[in-house]
Amino acid sequence: MRNLKLPKVRRDVPGPGATENGDASRPPVQPPERSLTAALPLHLLRAARLTRRQFLFASGAVAALASATRPSVVRAFSLFREERFFTDAEFATLEALVDRILPPDRDPGGKELGVAVYIERLLTTFDCGGVGLYRRGPYSGRTPYPDYQLGTPSSRFPENGFLRSIRASRLQELYWRAQLYGSEAAGIPPELDTSQGGPLVGLRDLYQQGLAEVDAVATSTAGQPYALLSVADQDVVLAQLDSPGVLPLDPRRGKTFLDIVIQHVLEGSFSAPEYGGNRNAQGWQMLGIEGDNQPLGYSIFSFELGTYRERPDHPMSTPNPDELAPDGSVVPIPLTPDGASIQQGITQETRLLSLIFPGACN
Amino acid sequence: MNSDDVLGNRALRHFDVCVIGSGAGGGTAAYALCKGGKNVLVLECGHNPWPGLDGDELPLPNHSNDELKYAVRTWLDPLAMLEPRTFRSSASIDAAINPDVNLLPRAVGGAFQHADAKTPRFNILDFQLKSTLEALIGRTPGLAIPGFGTDAASANFADWPLSYDELEPYYRHAEALLGVQGTDDDPFASPRSTPRPMPPGVPMYLGLLLSEGARQVSLQGSTLSPHTYPAAINSRFYDGRPPCVDCGWCSGFGCPNNAKGSPAVTGLRRALRSGRCQLRYNAKVVQLLNDGGHVSAVSYVDGEGQQKLATADAFVLAASPIESARLCLLSPTPAGGALGDSSGQVGRNLMFHLQANVNGFIPQRIHGQRGRAVSHGISDFRGVEPGGAAPRLFDANGSKAVYLGGITEFGGSQGLPITDDGFVMAFQLPSGVGARFGTRLKNAMRDGALSQHLISTIMQSEDAPQLTNRVDLDPTVRDIFGLPVARVTYAAHAYELHARNFYLPYLTQVVTNAGAQGVFVAPCDTLQLPPLVVSAPNSRHEMGTLRMGPDPATSVTDPQGRFHDVDNLYACDGSVFPTSSGYNPTLTIVALALKIAQGIAGNRPLEEGPPARP
Repeated sequence: MRNLKLPKVRRDVPGPGATENGDASRPPVQPPERSLTAALPLHLLRAARLTRRQFLFASGAVAALASATRPSVVRAFSLFREERFFTDAEFATLEALVDRILPPDRDPGGKELGVAVYIERLLTTFDCGGVGLYRRGPYSGRTPYPDYQLGTPSSRFPENGFLRSIRASRLQELYWRAQLYGSEAAGIPPELDTSQGGPLVGLRDLYQQGLAEVDAVATSTAGQPYALLSVADQDVVLAQLDSPGVLPLDPRRGKTFLDIVIQHVLEGSFSAPEYGGNRNAQGWQMLGIEGDNQPLGYSIFSFELGTYRERPDHPMSTPNPDELAPDGSVVPIPLTPDGASIQQGITQETRLLSLIFPGACN
Repeated sequence: MNSDDVLGNRALRHFDVCVIGSGAGGGTAAYALCKGGKNVLVLECGHNPWPGLDGDELPLPNHSNDELKYAVRTWLDPLAMLEPRTFRSSASIDAAINPDVNLLPRAVGGAFQHADAKTPRFNILDFQLKSTLEALIGRTPGLAIPGFGTDAASANFADWPLSYDELEPYYRHAEALLGVQGTDDDPFASPRSTPRPMPPGVPMYLGLLLSEGARQVSLQGSTLSPHTYPAAINSRFYDGRPPCVDCGWCSGFGCPNNAKGSPAVTGLRRALRSGRCQLRYNAKVVQLLNDGGHVSAVSYVDGEGQQKLATADAFVLAASPIESARLCLLSPTPAGGALGDSSGQVGRNLMFHLQANVNGFIPQRIHGQRGRAVSHGISDFRGVEPGGAAPRLFDANGSKAVYLGGITEFGGSQGLPITDDGFVMAFQLPSGVGARFGTRLKNAMRDGALSQHLISTIMQSEDAPQLTNRVDLDPTVRDIFGLPVARVTYAAHAYELHARNFYLPYLTQVVTNAGAQGVFVAPCDTLQLPPLVVSAPNSRHEMGTLRMGPDPATSVTDPQGRFHDVDNLYACDGSVFPTSSGYNPTLTIVALALKIAQGIAGNRPLEEGPPARP
């Protein structure tokens, strides 16, 4: 059940407010014009420039739309940067930042996991025809087909359907253009913005402004841009960036730039590798999970047995093997103090809530 | 129209029936209408996860084990930024945009593909709840039930205009059509004429832990009876679809190998293969054109943003209770009212299930990523006698009481790192409790502090129908189509709050006995502590708004599902439910859709036994 309900206390109540201006040295980024959005009944997209490369991608997209089968679009799968959005200096700041949010230790950190590539790929998705937002599937080829005769894994692997993307619908594309370029540039009707607290600032602008602010705070605190600081100083600056009031709240998202980067670090570390992060699935490996596991799954029906077999290494109805003693008793692997304190904190917080507001929890 | 946004028979020009929505209600209605010889046009506002669904071979869908696609980038969900809804807890305060009332996914096949496909039946009592409880109050001194007797005016209970026995053949057909697994181990379920098509699949470890915990709990002298949870998920090869492999990506995700009996791959596919059905997706219906008593056409916006008309002899609303009611309210009559609303009842009696949620942390890993999200539950908290025909009378401080809660799901986190662990730790928890970044975050992620240890039980408590819990049009907020959005007004009734409070201690015992530490009760669904917490009901079980009943003054649709005041308009989703019962609603939506659509098609009999392969 996807229904974990915790006290949903807002960290900050978002409201209408002014937004920060973009970096004046950089021309405003505008989305390429697309006929898909131009057909909306209420408004037209702003005219926008097309680079030659964008034009070629757009032409390809039109051709794809015209074909009867509407094939999904293959985007080259690479561990490295493709379409560039960040300058080298911005990219260095971002890599340093994500590597302190998820620091390397015995397992890789955010930088090695490719989080910065994941973020750049999200921000440039429309430079590549708007593909890559939703990976297709159904299988990645990381597990084989089941052998239904024996109820065991077979030796046949499906092709990697995650390399293909699902084309966004018109509304989905409009939504993502607003997320990336801002609601005004995407052509969201002003009334819709007004009812939701004003225009949405695009993530592309937020990243440029935010990385500049990170370097400004680093320089004023420790004398150098963030990427050039020692790890210890980077952690000091990171804690400072997380202090209330240091970074402005994005009014529509109710989040600071740091919140947004943390969110993208989590996404980029633990989503399917085809999105650009979680390099070589090392994010999943450090958690001890398989990630996507179809078509094999965890129980395989066997015609020979007339019932299911479980995978001994990944049992479904019994405890994990590494927590089972030879006598069959369960020996839990202790959590770290960090994980344990989060569990305790949730319990105490909920009890506190029920004490302060009787009836909230009972 | 973009010719790519069509499935089924593209050559059809004249349609007997136009169905709005392709999910459990609409997809099933299309199936039964085509079987009855009608030519059907289905309009679906969402996209199509099954390219080639109308082909000779059942295609693999675009569904995948992908947390980013579903849980973060919400591929199947409505986009609240473009199509918001507003919420308020009382008519005396202003409504505000609230994403919690936007939950039902939108795609070909509807919201059920995105659920873990739980399919219990309602029971005998549910169809005659009002008259049964009134009779019980009459013969039981001191028995008071909120919303009944002297308190009847605070709620709006009604009997269904049909009985369990009348619906039972349709339940049987629905279970065969969807492919339901389960066995007769729930003592409170009402009698059935045939076994379910398939036995239960492999149990989940956390389901076994909680079942063991439940067996140690006594509810006023009777021990709780954990049972396997019926679900429209193959446990065998069935209907040309493979058995479930228990991949874990069930609740919140579409099924990659079609083991889940989504309406798309069951009824809807049969309709599309019949030659009598055309489905247009990415087609957002915005208005029903009418003369007050008759609908002539629907206006919709297609996938390219072009406004189109579709005509048919009859029309079926199956867009989900909130959207079906909104469509009536968006369709003015020449006299200046809203379509079908001569009773003033359209949009009223909106019901969810009040979810009572008790959680705890199991010291060892529960690996909820292996399984079907939920494999077990209990029905003791529905508060009925075995067989489900009569309410159970409890002792309460020397007098008698009735507590009609609901079926309770035994689940837990699904082992999803980004949303079960990361986002909760970094954003939802107060600073000092959570983990924002650094080694603390990384350690807690590797622990799977929530994703691998949190068990969770949810009671789906019956929600009392109330006239004041309703959908209407927001006076100021408009969506991307320029139309007024749905405004939801909802507050819980003492009926369900009393049941919640009565069962919570027992539910807490279940979780504690399962070996959990740090057991905690989640705040009530409808908690209102403005401005910090404004909580809309976040159950996805939407019901009511177009109540079915015999009296045109107090109901919107008649016992056949037809609007009392519109001669060719029907409703065929959860909107027609007079009451909400305490069980997951989808199987009842499907059974009722079969019955209503069979009536529209002239009551030709549906075949018996498992439906023929498409």
